Amino acid sequence: MRAWRPILAVAVLSAALAGCGNNTDSGGTAPAAATGPWSFTGGNGQEVKADKAPTRIIAHAGEAAALMSFGIKPVGIYSDESVKTDPNLKNLDLSGITILGEEWGKIDVEKAASLAPDLIVGDWWPAEKAHSGMEEGVEEKSKKLAELAPVTGVSQGKSIVELAEGYEALAKSLGADVDKPEIAANKKRFEESVTKFKDAVKAKPGLSVAAMSPADDKLYVANPEYAPELLDLQSFGLDVLNPASPDPGFPYWENLSWENADKYQPDLILWDGRSYTATANAEWGKKQPTWFKIKAAKAGSTVAWPAFWLHTYGDFATELDKLTEAVKAADPNVGG
Amino acid sequence: MSVVSRPATTRVARRASALGPGLVALCAVLAAVAFLSVTQGSRDIGLADVLRSLGNLGDDGSIASTITLELRVPRTLLGILVGAALGVAGAILQGVTRNPLADTGIMGINSGAAAFVVFAITVLGVRGVGAYVWFAFAGAIAALFLVYAIASLGREGATPVKLALAGAAVTAGLASVTSGIIMTNVDALNELRFWQVGSLAGRYAPILTGVAPFLLVGLVAALGFGRALNGLALGEDLARGLGQNVGRTRVAAFAVVAVLAGAATAACGPIVFVGLVVPHVARFICGPDYRWILPYSMLLAPIMLLLADVLGRIVAQPDEVQVGVVLGVVCAPAFVAIVRYARLSEV
Repeated sequence: MRAWRPILAVAVLSAALAGCGNNTDSGGTAPAAATGPWSFTGGNGQEVKADKAPTRIIAHAGEAAALMSFGIKPVGIYSDESVKTDPNLKNLDLSGITILGEEWGKIDVEKAASLAPDLIVGDWWPAEKAHSGMEEGVEEKSKKLAELAPVTGVSQGKSIVELAEGYEALAKSLGADVDKPEIAANKKRFEESVTKFKDAVKAKPGLSVAAMSPADDKLYVANPEYAPELLDLQSFGLDVLNPASPDPGFPYWENLSWENADKYQPDLILWDGRSYTATANAEWGKKQPTWFKIKAAKAGSTVAWPAFWLHTYGDFATELDKLTEAVKAADPNVGG
Repeated sequence: MSVVSRPATTRVARRASALGPGLVALCAVLAAVAFLSVTQGSRDIGLADVLRSLGNLGDDGSIASTITLELRVPRTLLGILVGAALGVAGAILQGVTRNPLADTGIMGINSGAAAFVVFAITVLGVRGVGAYVWFAFAGAIAALFLVYAIASLGREGATPVKLALAGAAVTAGLASVTSGIIMTNVDALNELRFWQVGSLAGRYAPILTGVAPFLLVGLVAALGFGRALNGLALGEDLARGLGQNVGRTRVAAFAVVAVLAGAATAACGPIVFVGLVVPHVARFICGPDYRWILPYSMLLAPIMLLLADVLGRIVAQPDEVQVGVVLGVVCAPAFVAIVRYARLSEV
């Protein structure tokens, strides 16, 4: 259930706050100075200041991965699931970093205090008006993390690219040399991946895709408006379907009963990466009598969608390359 | 002349003479509701298409035929079996514990089933609903026998109060074990979403054939408990005086309830209210005779369950509302009304 509970918590609030204005600023403007007084303006618009750039940083999982990709190693990490399975962390070398939590809403604040942090980094969730780890619904004890040091983070929302850029700016302010060849290589690789992706999309006019998450009782169709990576794909030219009637109380998805599974007929299915496996399509075809009524599913035209976790240029590049291959292989006439 | 002043025997006889035809009428209502359940759903399919699909008795590849035969028919049959099982299990539990609020939740069945499923997923690495069914089923039985064993400690044996207390304790214990495992294992949490709210959606032929034998045997066995429950209703001592082996009746009744409610929970998750409310409605219609209450519960419960399911399917097209949610919303006020306006018959 990776990231479902945080999303649920966000959704409850975003439903309540819908219409209260959209905070689209991505945050993350910082002076380049790494010595002397330090300051950074986070996604919530608030500036955090210190006499010198913080060095003992505690960060949430994906944010930690983002900082590490620029050479800033946090002293502590709190994650929403085991650091061995968290998609942001599972391939990183975490030696020397203290793990402060491996479950959403639970942070060992005592242990965190013993690390004497001087900065806490967590994404800012505009709908919920809270940083990752301090949202509505987490344990009250965990929120005390915010009392240990200033909290900042880049705003979640409309774009993974903006998120990555925001953390690049934060890392730079913390003294990272983001132009160092091995660090800049990630961004360069990402830019190349975007170009390749755009070319592949351009070569397939008429290709439509939908992001879906099949579950035992329903079929969920993702609403790109609430999935930053899907908005990015749309901005790269991919025709990602906007579902007609997202669940008003939980607008991340349109819920389709299995009787209505064939409502949308995309040419390629972006399958929620949290449940995607190489054999998943065949299994669901067997399990759900109407899954193969989606022509793309029947044709095996599916690819993993990196849902709701990306933070870094490197991860996005890797995932984009996979999507590029799927777009190249897709038949724009499958869905009819 | 008021009804009350009539000789009691006349009343009982009159009632009995009406109850037989009443059962036949309920069968007809159930058939009508089942027809509704096959023809109505979150997708509009013309009556002609439904009937043609039913007539062909084979999936001809059209969406109408797939939905009718592979989604709605198994779902309806499962609804009938599960509803009947929950209704009659609730009636037996209320009778045998002489507790008007007894239902499968109180006896630890849901928590037992959930605990075993979690164990199967995390420790044994089992995947797939077909396999969970067996663990949920075993868990229900294990929890019930654990509750009964705890309640049986001490001189006076398994009294209703001790059973209810033991049930609550075991439920709490199992629930904490379950949530402890879930909290540290996201895969288990993901799989368990299926069981969090009772639902008939997504349950197809494999689940139906997996649990149907247990449910059918359990339902037949359940109908044999009428006389024994009537005896128990008089009180344990009187039942003993009438020559009944109270302990043996209880064990047998609990075994049947475990089979019925365990298999039902395994198939559909914790479906609330049916087992609690329906026996009261049946008792309201039939009076205190369990030989009538049991078959009435067995017919009233699936009618209620299927109606709630159909309602859930058509209110939110193209989405669906789980039957567990509909039952909660519709039945809670109904239950309050029963308690408020119709003096609940003594159990």
